Amino acid sequence: MYHLLKGLHEHLTRKDEYSVVIIGLDNAGKTTMLEQIKTLYNSTPGMPADKIGPTIGQNIGKISLPSTTLHFFDLGGQRDIRSIWPRYYDECHAVVFVLDAVDQARLSETWEVFDQVLNSPRLLNLPLLLLANKQDSPHCLSVSEIRESFDAWQRARPHQAEVDSNSSVPNSPGDVHSENGRHEHDGKWDDGGAKDERMASLDVMGVSALTGTGVRDAVNWLYIRVQNARKIEDRN
Amino acid sequence: MGISLSKVYQSLSSLAFWGKDKEVRILMVGLDSAGKTTILYRLQIGEVVSTIPTIGFNVETVSYKNINFQVWDLGGQSSIRPYWRCYYANTQAIIYVIDSSDTSRLATSRSELLTMLSEDELKSVPVLVFANKQDVAGALSPAEISEKLGLAGQEKGREWSVRGSCATKGEGLDDGLDWLVNIIQK
Repeated sequence: MYHLLKGLHEHLTRKDEYSVVIIGLDNAGKTTMLEQIKTLYNSTPGMPADKIGPTIGQNIGKISLPSTTLHFFDLGGQRDIRSIWPRYYDECHAVVFVLDAVDQARLSETWEVFDQVLNSPRLLNLPLLLLANKQDSPHCLSVSEIRESFDAWQRARPHQAEVDSNSSVPNSPGDVHSENGRHEHDGKWDDGGAKDERMASLDVMGVSALTGTGVRDAVNWLYIRVQNARKIEDRN
Repeated sequence: MGISLSKVYQSLSSLAFWGKDKEVRILMVGLDSAGKTTILYRLQIGEVVSTIPTIGFNVETVSYKNINFQVWDLGGQSSIRPYWRCYYANTQAIIYVIDSSDTSRLATSRSELLTMLSEDELKSVPVLVFANKQDVAGALSPAEISEKLGLAGQEKGREWSVRGSCATKGEGLDDGLDWLVNIIQK
């Protein structure tokens, strides 16, 4: 009888577990974001923002949602330590990329790093959420401005690549050059296709990790996406 | 009923935790001559003491930011590493010290660390790794040490951090402890 009840209790309280990695440049507010999530969803409050220093390694957090447990891995964002991010890609179910919407000087660095994340093959089919953090600051960029900035950066980049390839083979015969050109074009085309799909599962949201504005929306977004991803997986 | 009882117990025990000045038990381990004892006394009295290889352990209470740490500095020679496990129970944090300039023994250090972290008693205990002796020429950077240890993606149940330090100059120790204090306090 005890085991029957215990089994029933376990069945009713069973939770699916999902992992979410939080990445982004240093000082974007990843750890503050994590602690804010903990404060909002757990009974014990997270670390106050003034005690948070740069993360060199990993911080973890766990929240319980209806029939789901989300495990968060907040990873260090300094240049040296970004190499650890891919170690988490295989086993995570969603990715949160946090950017500092105030620090416009580092936006192009942000986009370079973000583009690498976008192009990681192991993340192609995962839900990816871009958070424009620090929306509490009066000088921050809005979500639409962030989108525009990324689009502008992307537009500027292929052009850059073209210029580079032209200058690198200045004396090559015409046919070789056109082959190169076609090859590059093909590559770009493939890239574009994958990227379109990638962009479709990407969303941008504005949050303030400090005040908590938009954090619940972001967690709900993740909650829905990871469950849908699992359902699709089950169907296959 | 069971859930509500456990909730009550949890809130009561958390009250008890904050009510008294509890000592936090920290294990400081690592291979021999990594600098554990030097770090311990640097933390406690703020000075560099001349040390001899620890056979057995040193234990000192270190006060830092109103928390009393009971730091156990265990000897690191290969013959006494098996006794580390005797100290695992009730540990709230691990400080693992690595000699960043001793590249030949980094693999050994890594396997000792991973063996220790696989123990049930140390499950979900946060780990602070000091990549020590950063002042020595040829020392690997904390990022390189971190890469070689391979904690990333493997240790999912705990917080960890790999930080550079120089025990003889006292650099990096406070930053590391700050991180540990915050993790333990919440």
